[in-house]
Amino acid sequence: MGPLLMGEPDPTLSDDALLVLYANGDGRAAQELTGRLAPRCLGVAMRVLGNRAEAEDVTQEAMMRLWRMGPNWQPGQAQLSTWLYRVTMNLCIDLKRRQKGGYVDLDAVPEPEDTARSAAEQIQDGTRHDALQAALMQLPERQRQAVVLRHIEELANPEIAGIMDISIEAVESLTARGKRALAAVLANKRQELGYNDG
Amino acid sequence: MAELDKAMQELDDLFASAREAPRHLPDHLNKAILADAVTARSEAAVAEPAVKPVVLQRQGFWRQLLLAVGGLPTIGGFAVACAAGVWIGLEPPSFLPDPAQLVGYSDSTSVPYDSYDLAVMLGEEVQ
Repeated sequence: MGPLLMGEPDPTLSDDALLVLYANGDGRAAQELTGRLAPRCLGVAMRVLGNRAEAEDVTQEAMMRLWRMGPNWQPGQAQLSTWLYRVTMNLCIDLKRRQKGGYVDLDAVPEPEDTARSAAEQIQDGTRHDALQAALMQLPERQRQAVVLRHIEELANPEIAGIMDISIEAVESLTARGKRALAAVLANKRQELGYNDG
Repeated sequence: MAELDKAMQELDDLFASAREAPRHLPDHLNKAILADAVTARSEAAVAEPAVKPVVLQRQGFWRQLLLAVGGLPTIGGFAVACAAGVWIGLEPPSFLPDPAQLVGYSDSTSVPYDSYDLAVMLGEEVQ
């Protein structure tokens, strides 16, 4: 087997097909898969862990597991993104268990880059995103995972159930309780977040 | 109730805003992931031998004998044939010909009696 081929990736192929190509030595497939999956993996890890450095470590490890699993992947058996979300969540849980409680790195949360908005609006958006992340970090681990997957990643409940290895009813319960808890936390900060009562 | 609805609506707006935030993969992480892809592929290539080695195993005498006669199916057929032979010899079914007639005797039942009578007669002579 020679070195990986490099060049322009093919954006029309499915994740499954790209992984098979990668396993056969096509480096362009690795580039395309990284572009598609790694940002999602990083985003979820950032929301769940609340720390950029840790999220990057988790993302790199999850992608490494993807590369190693590549030759054994059965196309059509499951969605590759679902598998990767599951690996990412498990890595986050393992990390949190080792740490015995995490911490919130608000500077690590990405802020929207919208040049069309005024500086004041961007600051307010940043403040709100920080507040959302801080509120998320107050949720129990499983609630936070379910809320992030449902409301930020916009995954369907059956897919979340598969990722978290729980029933759909448990997903519905976790997201409902998590959302209520978030609303309660954020309700106390309405003034500083710029929400008016009118 | 209205307060809760308002809080939920604001939370939904926050989620929507978080979803719209661009997802940027830092260059150093992108490079590290692609370097891992090359490493993992190299490891897989090393782990896949070009020709699968043939494993030679030394087999015991009985195992070799079993394989030489054709394995378990042959042994099974042999056992059935033996059982059928014993059955036919001891209690032959009525539709089969009497084997004694095949070798020249008129009736197989007379053979043991004749032999018995002969043995008794000879025994009496000896006494």
